[in-house]
Amino acid sequence: MSGLSFNALPPIDLPFRFFLTAPLFIIACALLVLFSGEPLWLSRWQPNMLALTHGFTLGFLTMVMMGALLQLLPVIGGIGIAKPRLIATTSHVLYCAGVITLMLSFVLAHHWLTLAALVLLSLGFGLYLSAIIRVLIKKFSQGDSINGFRLAIISLVILLLLGVLLLANRLGITVPFMTLDKQLTDIHALMGLVGWAGMLIIAVSFQVIPMFHVAPSMPKYIRHYLGVSIFILLIVYIFYAEFALGMIFISHAVFAFTLFYVINQRKRKVPDTSIKYWQLAAATLLLLNLLYFLPNSFYASQGLPLFLSLPDKSMLLTSIFIYFYLLSIVQGMLLKILPFLSYTHLQQRCLIDFSAMQFIPHMHQFLNKKHGLALYYLHILTGLSLVAVLFDPSLYRIFALLLLTEFCWLLLLMVRCMRLYFAVSQKINLSNNP
Amino acid sequence: MSSIPEYMTAKHRECDEFFSEAEAAVVDKNWPLALAKWQVFARELTEHLAQEEEILFPQFEQATGMTAGPTQVMRMEHQQMRALVQSLDNALAANEKDEYLGLSETLMVMMQQHNMKEEMMLYPMMAQHLSDGEQLIEGFKASAVV
Repeated sequence: MSGLSFNALPPIDLPFRFFLTAPLFIIACALLVLFSGEPLWLSRWQPNMLALTHGFTLGFLTMVMMGALLQLLPVIGGIGIAKPRLIATTSHVLYCAGVITLMLSFVLAHHWLTLAALVLLSLGFGLYLSAIIRVLIKKFSQGDSINGFRLAIISLVILLLLGVLLLANRLGITVPFMTLDKQLTDIHALMGLVGWAGMLIIAVSFQVIPMFHVAPSMPKYIRHYLGVSIFILLIVYIFYAEFALGMIFISHAVFAFTLFYVINQRKRKVPDTSIKYWQLAAATLLLLNLLYFLPNSFYASQGLPLFLSLPDKSMLLTSIFIYFYLLSIVQGMLLKILPFLSYTHLQQRCLIDFSAMQFIPHMHQFLNKKHGLALYYLHILTGLSLVAVLFDPSLYRIFALLLLTEFCWLLLLMVRCMRLYFAVSQKINLSNNP
Repeated sequence: MSSIPEYMTAKHRECDEFFSEAEAAVVDKNWPLALAKWQVFARELTEHLAQEEEILFPQFEQATGMTAGPTQVMRMEHQQMRALVQSLDNALAANEKDEYLGLSETLMVMMQQHNMKEEMMLYPMMAQHLSDGEQLIEGFKASAVV
């Protein structure tokens, strides 16, 4: 009878603190864009650009995903991490400090900042991952999503090891068996964007789309083989980069078509912003395929009679992938997770005190639907301004201001939701102890 | 003959469908249709909960000796679902679209979490411990209202 943990949910403030700190990193990124000016957009190797990409990927995406995993494992697998408060609190503090020092180390290029980032991130990730891995090596009844989580975590470990090597290299420490070149950085980036973030999204989609939208399950062969295929392709990429990359794009097109199919077949047709985000993400994957498979001559703009020059292909594709795919899904999920968590935690408390049910607001009171929709439109607008900056860097101020607005708005929605949670929680306390 | 997990899980899906149809009708402000679909859902749900609380849970408790365990949590969640159904009844009677949709989103989330616990843990355990599971299901089928 072990494994029957119906109430393995970690305390709500643990995932919430990951969610709340995430937008702050993008707000910092917006300021970085504002003060870096046009030179930022010259290449992906600009120190400030490295700070920016890590602010987005570690500061926001990974931060939210770390918080969400704390919550998702008990809901999907029935098992949570051991000592959640100690592990989550400590790893969160170390991780935040690690990402801040990493971003600063890129901008300021100080030796000791790099060293601090290396130590803090290793400790923060090490602590968090060892707790998660201890759960994931257990046997679960429900396979497909959990297997996806496992592949995502393996990718995260690989990308972190490469990240450590790259940081160590900046400190002058080199390893004899490896040359740290552009290809290694590419593997590091791809493992992060596709292996870690992308794989987690695919695994989560198996669960949440059928569940929240009364849609059919994803086809069996997609659930069984898509994640593994992408992971194998990531390994193949090390040896046959071009072939593997093409196949990775195609795999994502397959995922996009599956998403469209399942979403289209859903029974629950009530207007829903999270569904809009999923559709936007799927359309983005198809657009990325088109952009990737366009002949390279298309990007050599000298030959084309265009009035402006085309941006670097890999910068364009990566930006669109991060902004319109990864960020879209994460925001769409946050719009569901925030009210869902708030409600579920309060509801669990009312199992004992049934009369307190009357105090709990419904989901849309935690997060107003119109506010969620506004976030969606802001997101599209900001994403378009990002693409515009890649074509014409002088537009950077517009992008920075929109980015600032979008993530301040997201932060505000989070704070409102949490304030309501704590207000209701207080009411329940009072009704318990009159 | 179907097993407990098969039959009871299929019932969850059926309830989801009636629920979604009622919700879609509310979105269109088609109140008569919404009411009709909602009533089918409510009837199916009531029957399903009764089958669990009056037959399956007691049998399971007897077979395993676990009276304060998972079935107790499930009963409490059923109570909470009934309370939400009551609120939805009121919203529907008052033709309050936004209130209804906020509550229906909430009930949906609660039901899905609840169903997952039953489908992943409780039903398989029942199939394991109740030797006459298939006969019980035959009984449910014979007395089905829809």
